[in-house]
Amino acid sequence: MSDHNKPLIKTTRRQALGLMALSASGVVFSGLPGFASAMAQQAKTIKGQLTVGFSQEPTVFNPHMPHIEVDEGVHFSVFDPLFYVDADGKFVAALAAEVPSVENGGISADGLTWKVTLRDDVKWHDGKPFTAEDVKFTLELLVDPDFRSWRKTGHEFVRDLTVVSPTEITWKMEKPFAPYPSILASTFITPKHILGAEADRNTAAYNNAPIGTGPFKWKERIAGDYILLEANAAYFADGPYVERLIYKYVPDLNVLYTQFKTGDIDVVGLQWITPDHYDEAKDLEGKVINIVPGSTIESFTFNMERPQFKEPAVREALYHAIDKQSIIEALYYGLPSPTESYVPQQSIYYNTDLPKHEYSIEKAKTLLDDAGWAEGADGIRAKDGVKLSFTCSTTAGNHIREQVQQYIQQSFKDIGVEMTISNLPPAVMWGDYWMLSQFDTVIVGLDFLTGPDPDTSDFFRSTSSPAKGGAGQNTWQFVNKDVDDLLAQGGSLFVPEERKAVYLKIQNVMRKELPFLPLFQYATVRGHKDGIEKVQPNINTRIDTWNVATWRWA
Amino acid sequence: MTAATLPSSSFPPTPRFWQNRTVRRFARHKLAVVGVAMITLLILACVFGPYLLPYDELYIDLRARFAPPLTGYHIFGTDPLGRDIAARLFNAGRISLLVGFFAMVLSTVIGTVIGVVAGYYGGRLGTVLMRFVDAFLAFPSIFLLLALAAFVKPSPFMITVIIAVTSWMEIARLVEAEVRSLRERDFVLAARMLGLPNAWIMFRELLPNAIGPIIVAATLTVARAILMEAYISFLGYGIQPPLPSWGNMLNGAQQYLDKAPWLAIVPGVAITLAVTSFNFIGDGLRDALDARSDLN
Amino acid sequence: MLSYLLQRLWQSLVLLLLVSIIGFAILNLAPGGPLSQFALTPGMTREALDRIAHQMGLDRPLPIQYLEWAWRLLQGDWGKSYRDQRPVLDIISGHLFATLLLMISSTVVSILIGTWIGIKGATKRYSIFDYSATVGAMIALSIPTFWFGLVAIYVFALKLKWLPAGNMYTIGDQSFYDYAIHLIMPSIVLALVNIAVWSRYMRTATLDVINQDFVRTARAKGLTPRRVLMKHVVGNALLPMITLAGLQLPTILGGALVTETVFTWPGMGRLFLDSLGYHDYPVVMGLLMFSAILVLLGSLLADLLVALVDPRIRLG
Repeated sequence: MSDHNKPLIKTTRRQALGLMALSASGVVFSGLPGFASAMAQQAKTIKGQLTVGFSQEPTVFNPHMPHIEVDEGVHFSVFDPLFYVDADGKFVAALAAEVPSVENGGISADGLTWKVTLRDDVKWHDGKPFTAEDVKFTLELLVDPDFRSWRKTGHEFVRDLTVVSPTEITWKMEKPFAPYPSILASTFITPKHILGAEADRNTAAYNNAPIGTGPFKWKERIAGDYILLEANAAYFADGPYVERLIYKYVPDLNVLYTQFKTGDIDVVGLQWITPDHYDEAKDLEGKVINIVPGSTIESFTFNMERPQFKEPAVREALYHAIDKQSIIEALYYGLPSPTESYVPQQSIYYNTDLPKHEYSIEKAKTLLDDAGWAEGADGIRAKDGVKLSFTCSTTAGNHIREQVQQYIQQSFKDIGVEMTISNLPPAVMWGDYWMLSQFDTVIVGLDFLTGPDPDTSDFFRSTSSPAKGGAGQNTWQFVNKDVDDLLAQGGSLFVPEERKAVYLKIQNVMRKELPFLPLFQYATVRGHKDGIEKVQPNINTRIDTWNVATWRWA
Repeated sequence: MTAATLPSSSFPPTPRFWQNRTVRRFARHKLAVVGVAMITLLILACVFGPYLLPYDELYIDLRARFAPPLTGYHIFGTDPLGRDIAARLFNAGRISLLVGFFAMVLSTVIGTVIGVVAGYYGGRLGTVLMRFVDAFLAFPSIFLLLALAAFVKPSPFMITVIIAVTSWMEIARLVEAEVRSLRERDFVLAARMLGLPNAWIMFRELLPNAIGPIIVAATLTVARAILMEAYISFLGYGIQPPLPSWGNMLNGAQQYLDKAPWLAIVPGVAITLAVTSFNFIGDGLRDALDARSDLN
Repeated sequence: MLSYLLQRLWQSLVLLLLVSIIGFAILNLAPGGPLSQFALTPGMTREALDRIAHQMGLDRPLPIQYLEWAWRLLQGDWGKSYRDQRPVLDIISGHLFATLLLMISSTVVSILIGTWIGIKGATKRYSIFDYSATVGAMIALSIPTFWFGLVAIYVFALKLKWLPAGNMYTIGDQSFYDYAIHLIMPSIVLALVNIAVWSRYMRTATLDVINQDFVRTARAKGLTPRRVLMKHVVGNALLPMITLAGLQLPTILGGALVTETVFTWPGMGRLFLDSLGYHDYPVVMGLLMFSAILVLLGSLLADLLVALVDPRIRLG
């Protein structure tokens, strides 16, 4: 893997400096048709049907309203963004004729002026042509104060949206915002002529019968059961290759697996096959099973405002007391990879030089002894009247994680630390309890990065703690001046190599400070029937069906 | 008994009279006797079992996970963390049975008090109380359970309270009906004329006469409380690990149904045994306390 | 009669009001909320969650939210789901069929078998049949439904591979046979408990009648045991059965909930659990009201039926 071909704002392998030079010389279009459109020229056969199983039910079909991962599965099938991120982390044009970059003049060198050229051969599912007006409508809708937009980040900096022609749109950014291309890559364009005509876009009928430009058309939804989509034969890019696409909701992972085994489900989608079924699954006849690294990092998270966790020595000691190896090998069947960072190992921003974790009860004890935490009569360590005793919460019903919790509990007991388990239903857990830092510790799997972008300001900036009135998700209440400065620096840099240096430093600080103990990076067990082609994982998107347009039966 | 000095005590049939007959009839009810025997055995096993086993119910040994029953001294095998299932089962039994028992006590007390008051006073107070009971009954119990479980930290004590709060209504209804039918009886009227305090009449005169159905209902409530604990713990909102309960031992067992079916079977059988026993006993009590069954 | 009906109706309305207030309070006072499911979305911030909560009106005082909800309900608007914005009534009716199918098939099975066992047990009291029926019913009542479902899946789906492990039908093959084969396990698991309930009630009810004077009189008059049984016993025992049937109406929601969960049956019980899990208040409140109305209708219906069938009972 090359280290510098997956950053932002460019599609070709060139050094950043060269990139700037090119844009200055006024080269606008590379003139190369995208891979996708080249494929579309070939005759395609549309046949058969595919059933994708999800363990959560997709219910939000307007891609701009608050939604969860599985909903994006449907969005990718019905809609298109201007451009998307492929499995290598490169941007690929979709509705845009080409990906805007500094190199081709789509983005000015200071990142403030944008110009996007659009395809002229795209039609909405109802036959109306897609134009720049739709892009303008979508970007305006996202910041409409009356609309329940799920994400304004980035879009709120957009100014002076101008439709130059049906195939060209320009805008200015209020300030340089490096993550914006990544955000646009998951911003699906919605039709002005339909959604724009609705009086209340929050409750529009459109939201339950979406019309897009994507490879599949909305057919029907049986709530609580499945969603049926039909091939859009007039799709402008590669695909689709199956007549019907079904998203089946199977609320239980065991049943999901069983139905995959019996053949009722062709492709196991989110949350895939549980690790304990991997051994059996990999020998199943007629199925293709893959282990796919996910972008989710499992961590043991501290509430840094609790007096027990103020001292770095305590957090380090607890890290030493966690038997990561056994957790991964025995409880997760060796699937995930141990990690020291919050950045997925596949990212170019991943820091490979972080100190390795060492499981040592002795070291843990020594650290605590040296820091003055002495065991009391009850066998629990204490210092200055603060007992090393706390609760640990996670989502009730995640069985393997509950096992991990109990295993860690036993290890902590060995070093004189009392951990009480207090698990909560998801809707309670991730409400104020999490957001307002009402917990002591939590075991949680987080996606720290938004798509391929390494910016984590909402997580790590000292002003991002909701408990202290902040707007982000710094629920550790982590405060570090260096990290604050580095984050500000990284967010305004557009040259990938310079950005990388900044984010490597942040990872160093986080590994040293340990506001959360990184346990491992998830790997998921995915499966599909033999004979289905192009089912390809993409760590840069949240959902399996990012390229469902090209899925086909052999 | 100070009641002996009061004339009222001679009006209702004294408890001792039917008690003996009831005991005799209960002893004739074979199922009830089987129930008593089974529950006694279970209780003994839960009380003494843990001392006889060479394993600690909390000790995790990842090398020994998923041992099938009869592996070494693991008579019921081990769980996904390598803990001995037998040790967990007996310790879980202590918790599950205690939760069931105290939930019964609490819900019987709540139900009886509300039922007696509503039945005795009747009128507006009675109507209000009974509509309140109806309102609670109109909720699916699982809704109340899950909604309440979201409020509190799930300790065994709180689980007991939650179960009690969601299962007192039937006893209240039953007691209300019983008391209402007794309210106009001579001995109550007499007690009232004597100017006895209402509380005395309610709990010393009326209640003993309604005690039969209450005992039956209470026995069945134990059975139901054990099932409820199992269900909420199965869903993960009940007794928290590492403390074992029969319900939370089943939590996660579904996942291993194919690979380690004993994880589901062992606690499931224990729950069924315990609940069946209480249902047998309840049935026996019902027959023994039911005067009409003498007619045949 | 009319005044009785009016009184019942009035009481029912008060009850509904009470149920709605209690339900609304419990739901909204519990920690967490409908937006917590989005908290772990990458890039999600507290600010965005607060903004959306404000747009949805979730940050207003609870009494105002309640009054608005109740006012709309009175006008026939049950609100819209927080999850997919569809009208609550549409969502409920969309799940009704699956639950009705399961309930009806299991009720038919359980009434037929339960009645037969109950009457036979009562007339041959203390026979081997009666004993095994009693013991069987007791055990059936004591088995945790979710566990029994698991064991059934283990045996019939995983080991014997005779029946599907869950779902209502195979997508693409929605033939009668397909429905039937999916229906077998859940309806039997659900019926098992009901068979036990029905047979116990039927047994008790029949015994009650057998012991009554008019039956003994009839027997004394020289009627054959069979005729006595059919004419008086069954006729009279049906009364409490009707009441029971009426009272069972509301279990449409609660009763099938566990079974629906274990067999991933797309009915109301699962809708309820899902909605509760996501704190989708409008749907949960809708289901609560729906179930409360069923409870009231059920008990009213049962009372009326009994009054119609049995002239000895006068309402008032």
